[in-house]
Amino acid sequence: MATRMEQSASFAGSLKVQLRVLRALFMREALTRYGRHNIGFLWLFVEPMTFTLGVTALWTATKAVHGSDLPIVAFALTGYSSVLLWRNMPGRCIGALWANLSLLYHRNIKVLDIFIARLLLEFGGATISFAVLSVIFIAIGWLDPPLNLLEVVGGWMIIAWFGSSLAILLGALSHENEIVDKLWHPASYLIFPLSGSAFMVDALPKLAQDVVLWIPMVHGVEIVREGYFGARARAHYDLAYVLPFCLALSGLALMQVRQVAARVVPE
Amino acid sequence: MIRLDNVRKVYPTRLGKKLVLDGISFELRKGERLGVLGRNGAGKSTMVRLISGAERPSSGTVERSMSVSWPLAFGGAFQYALTGQDNVKFISRIYGQDVEHNLAFVQEFAELGPYLREPVRTYSSGMRARLAFAISMIIEFDCFLIDEIASVGDARFHARCNYELFEKRGDRAMVIISHDATYIRDHCNRYAVLEQGKLSFFDAFDESYEFFSQSIGLATSTVGLPVRATGRAEALSALYHLAIADERFRVHVQQGDWARDSHDWGKAAAEYGKALRLHPYERTYWAQLGHVLREQDHDTTAEICYRSACALGQPALDLQPFLAFVQARAYPDAPEVPIRSLERGATHAQPPSYPDLCILIRAIWGVAGIATDEAGRLLRAHATLDDLLAAILDDPRAQAGSPAPPDGSAAASLFDDSALFVVDAIWLQRLCYIAMPDFDTGTFDMSALAEDWPICLFNLIENHNGFEGWPKSSPKMAEFIRHARARLAVAVHESAHG
Repeated sequence: MATRMEQSASFAGSLKVQLRVLRALFMREALTRYGRHNIGFLWLFVEPMTFTLGVTALWTATKAVHGSDLPIVAFALTGYSSVLLWRNMPGRCIGALWANLSLLYHRNIKVLDIFIARLLLEFGGATISFAVLSVIFIAIGWLDPPLNLLEVVGGWMIIAWFGSSLAILLGALSHENEIVDKLWHPASYLIFPLSGSAFMVDALPKLAQDVVLWIPMVHGVEIVREGYFGARARAHYDLAYVLPFCLALSGLALMQVRQVAARVVPE
Repeated sequence: MIRLDNVRKVYPTRLGKKLVLDGISFELRKGERLGVLGRNGAGKSTMVRLISGAERPSSGTVERSMSVSWPLAFGGAFQYALTGQDNVKFISRIYGQDVEHNLAFVQEFAELGPYLREPVRTYSSGMRARLAFAISMIIEFDCFLIDEIASVGDARFHARCNYELFEKRGDRAMVIISHDATYIRDHCNRYAVLEQGKLSFFDAFDESYEFFSQSIGLATSTVGLPVRATGRAEALSALYHLAIADERFRVHVQQGDWARDSHDWGKAAAEYGKALRLHPYERTYWAQLGHVLREQDHDTTAEICYRSACALGQPALDLQPFLAFVQARAYPDAPEVPIRSLERGATHAQPPSYPDLCILIRAIWGVAGIATDEAGRLLRAHATLDDLLAAILDDPRAQAGSPAPPDGSAAASLFDDSALFVVDAIWLQRLCYIAMPDFDTGTFDMSALAEDWPICLFNLIENHNGFEGWPKSSPKMAEFIRHARARLAVAVHESAHG
């Protein structure tokens, strides 16, 4: 018969349990979302890729004004991929707890694990989509390789950090307040045009620049573009603002998770 | 060991805070199997969730120095979009176990065949139960929490579950909560009753069950819950569900079943009788009562029970042989009167049952009971409620019937205190179910009938179309009312001048 459950409380043991739980939740989440039909797991990044491709095509066709001399394909790819990253994360975490309440009967599964599993999946999908499209566009010559790959990664991680903290905060809040779900949809659409995806900060008047730089995603997108295009992007960002912002948001999110976890009733 | 120390659980609700568990303390060691009885909503499942660690107490502590299972046979942990196999893999990964080994076990135990690779969504409830139980058996816990396991699956599956749990894992600790008191009696060695947030412990099952029965007896009545029905078949179906949802009813039939299983026919009949006094329109236990009365050679009363069961909707095919048997013994010379079944259609055309008879004679004759022989004769002779009511109205007792409430000195009857069928507070409501085709306790204001007897009967018939359109009895009823009114007027006059 099966082995006994271990009860060691050492850090290494706990870490092992934690990784095991996250892995199981991740696989379950991926299977539930994409199943085994037609292309299965490929949907993980094919779905965001079609989004980005569609927007790229639209913006190219309408010759969208973005106020720089960057090629429109490059502009759309960096911009819309970033949107998908920070916007889908809260979408997946809001209501995630209700859908998975029964899992809490397994003592090793904590509220935060449910969120993290979904975020990992979302991050993976958006990242693979961004990377694959970049490689394709570079290969067919629509895009130059990034000048500073590490900076692209850094900007991308900042957007992901912001998106994850926001997602966990909203996800935890949404468990007891239905209104979070109702407000997030309009809010995400309204923030989209302000998020730096559809414009370059440099092209804005000085007053507008000061305003949009309060929005944390803008910094991330600017960094990604600087990584890609270097000085041509004329990026505006402030790490001393965006990093503490994300840190504070993460702290808030974890506090909210702790509060919900104390009150949650498994069904 | 598991130790609960002064555990309290409070849930916030719209109407303020609700205290569910109020200072629960106990210890559970290996080999101890604790059975917990409690009413619906008493907090049994909450307590199990606290023990399992899925939920935290509002105050107090839960210490676990052994591994504790999730609530067993609990299907909720499935992802319905995933296959059974994927669910097994998930649990195996969560608990860090060998996937292939577990799959083989589940394959063998749950007997799902190729369905193991289909989404759980497509499973029948029995298949889900088998999968849930098999998955629960994968992990070897020191303490198993068992929540309502007895209610799922077929007999063979039960036997295998019991073998896995109580034979192979008899050395473990267990906490078992179930509506099925028999299950707790047979498998536990410690017993407790959860009532009003407090847990009371008992060494013997009988003591705990007695305490449980008493706590239910004190509970507020649910008999008069709103029931909306159009037509008799629908009303009976609603009343049937009301009965089986009533825990007092369930306690009596449970004790009746135990007595029956140990061939204590007298006690069984008494318990079934108590249950049916609470819910006289519950059909299945009329049949059970018939069986235990037959065992005691009470053939005339058994016949009444069988006829009533069938009139209230039990399938005639099941009962016909029994009815023929008791009828032949009770009336060897009389020709056999076949059993009559409930059908969809007008109330007056349906066969009468014993509770109908009691209620109608209460209304027309003003008596609280009826001799068994006569009751049997009336039910045998009259195929429909209309026929029966016409006969009751034609009887001399309808003319002599006192317009005053019955005095309780009624003739001997099926049960020693069968008067309870009609003198309790809701007999008038039951009369409405017979008399009015579309009776809705939700909207019908009983006070519209006026509280006094027999004015209420007059009102029911004259103002609320009671017994309207009953071919034989409607005209007789109008005449009866006229006479009764006249007698009442005389009585009032005499008391005013006497």
